[in-house]
Amino acid sequence: MYALITIVGIVVTIFFLAGFGRGLRNAIAEYRDGAPESNEVPDYRYGGLAALSVVASAVVIAGAGFSPAMIYAGPLLALVTAAGCGLAFFVEDKAAG
Amino acid sequence: MDKSIFAQMPSLTPTLGFASMIGLGLFSLALSYGVKTLLVRNTHDFIIADRRVGFGFGVGSVIAVWTWAMAVMMSSAMTYNWGLSGLFWFVVPNGFAVMAMIPFARILRKNMPEGYTISEFVEYRFNRSKVATAIVTVTMIFGIILEILINLKGTSVVVSTVFGIDWRVATVVGIVCVLTYSYFGGLWTSVMTGTLNTLMITVPAAIVVAAVYAKIPGGTQAVFDAAGAADARNLSVLRPDAAAGFGITLAFGLLAATVSDQTFWQKVWAVKSRDVGRTFLWAGALFYPIPICLGMLGLVGIAFGLKPADIGGDIVAIGPYIVSHIGLGLTLVLLYVLVILAACYSTIDGASAALSSIVAVDIVKRYFPQTSESSLFVITKLSVLLGGIVATLIVLSGLDFTTLVLTTYALKTSILLPLVLSILWPKTNMVGFVGGIAAAILIGMPIYEMAGELIGTLCIVAISGLTVLIAGLVGGRDFDLSGLKRITDEVSAPAE
Repeated sequence: MYALITIVGIVVTIFFLAGFGRGLRNAIAEYRDGAPESNEVPDYRYGGLAALSVVASAVVIAGAGFSPAMIYAGPLLALVTAAGCGLAFFVEDKAAG
Repeated sequence: MDKSIFAQMPSLTPTLGFASMIGLGLFSLALSYGVKTLLVRNTHDFIIADRRVGFGFGVGSVIAVWTWAMAVMMSSAMTYNWGLSGLFWFVVPNGFAVMAMIPFARILRKNMPEGYTISEFVEYRFNRSKVATAIVTVTMIFGIILEILINLKGTSVVVSTVFGIDWRVATVVGIVCVLTYSYFGGLWTSVMTGTLNTLMITVPAAIVVAAVYAKIPGGTQAVFDAAGAADARNLSVLRPDAAAGFGITLAFGLLAATVSDQTFWQKVWAVKSRDVGRTFLWAGALFYPIPICLGMLGLVGIAFGLKPADIGGDIVAIGPYIVSHIGLGLTLVLLYVLVILAACYSTIDGASAALSSIVAVDIVKRYFPQTSESSLFVITKLSVLLGGIVATLIVLSGLDFTTLVLTTYALKTSILLPLVLSILWPKTNMVGFVGGIAAAILIGMPIYEMAGELIGTLCIVAISGLTVLIAGLVGGRDFDLSGLKRITDEVSAPAE
């Protein structure tokens, strides 16, 4: 499992850094463009997803008390966090031009 | 399980410790200088990043500022002390507290799009009440100094323990590293270095925890069996003593820590308006795995029957002790130190950036409105250094900062419901807001001292909330939050 987590960790790091680079280029392009940002705050349904993540975290912790294999869920999910941050750069709108 | 497996590593020299601290600082400084050159021209860019922080940087930086160095260690310590119930009560409210910002963040960003600080909102919400504004400003400043102080202290303890560096020297080197790079780019620097620090926290944490379990004969099965054999409650999340002992109090404290913290409000107004809601949702959800991962080190401590005396007397040291004594390679131990340093640096630079917004908007522009842009920019940049210097002096003085912790706790918990109601309930008025906070401190804190944390915290929250409700019902006038859209930008970017 250690080897797997290390390999996945390296892959996730590359993905994260690719996203970071995209985000940085976006930020610089938008700054140079200088176009005004919209003040609109769109409606956003978050209650279900928020509740799901709270319950999921509780289930993962409780799971470590039922199966020793679940102990590895923590490290694996930490890699999901890094991957999620990287993904956030790719789902944000790209700067025009 | 035989705890003779744990032994001091001889190769962890002070030079390696300094190299880790200064190396991360220099890396951040290089990034910061680039940020300053490319993205920061004036005070507006420095304190609010021109309100152009994108979704990726928003998520990464919110996770980074919420991942305190102490939290990295506390997740292991709470598991070690209470078993999985400790981890449950430490983790579940933590991510929820970040997501709890979403409704308030959306309302204020929608109705006060040109805002900078939560104190500024209170100023306009309560008809420029100097008392209400001052209370909130002081609370934010206290909270920021405490954030810096706790992270600095925690990191200096770890670095001194692992590398044998004098803790005073570690404190000074740590703060100099963070403040040097924070000075250049303000909020942009904070969000970018913070986002990278999220990477430096998560991937190394996963690898190090997996390596620890790989090093233990029998791996997870052996730890699972030994922890259960030590006490079956270690493997349950349903221990009521964990909830009563710290869980419920921590849950309220964490809510107050986000909703009553300018570090988060600064990001509410800096992230692009369309991304505010999902930024806090993703950050809260993606935060969860970090303490869950590091908490698994606590089970190792239980399984090996480590006693507090074995690890230096303080259970917070359980994670660092296991990693630095179980026989991992030097690279892995350094990776773990990197996790703690990254958590420390990102929280301090986030807090310093938040302090700069308070100084610019709530102090200089409020009391000296004629200050020129060039002077304001200089003052704002210098203010980044202020919180760090004050916190360092407190740490170095060796003073017991219990008073500061208690004062900040009292202010933040007292302000929680009045602030929430001032955003959600139009009838909230100045008398209720100030009266609620004052009554909560004057009546609730003595109860807290006498009856303990749980009852005390519930009383503080109840007294502050009830006072606001009663004053609002008696006062009877509704406040139109949408009127705040007329508020102009206090520190607008100067024309080119």
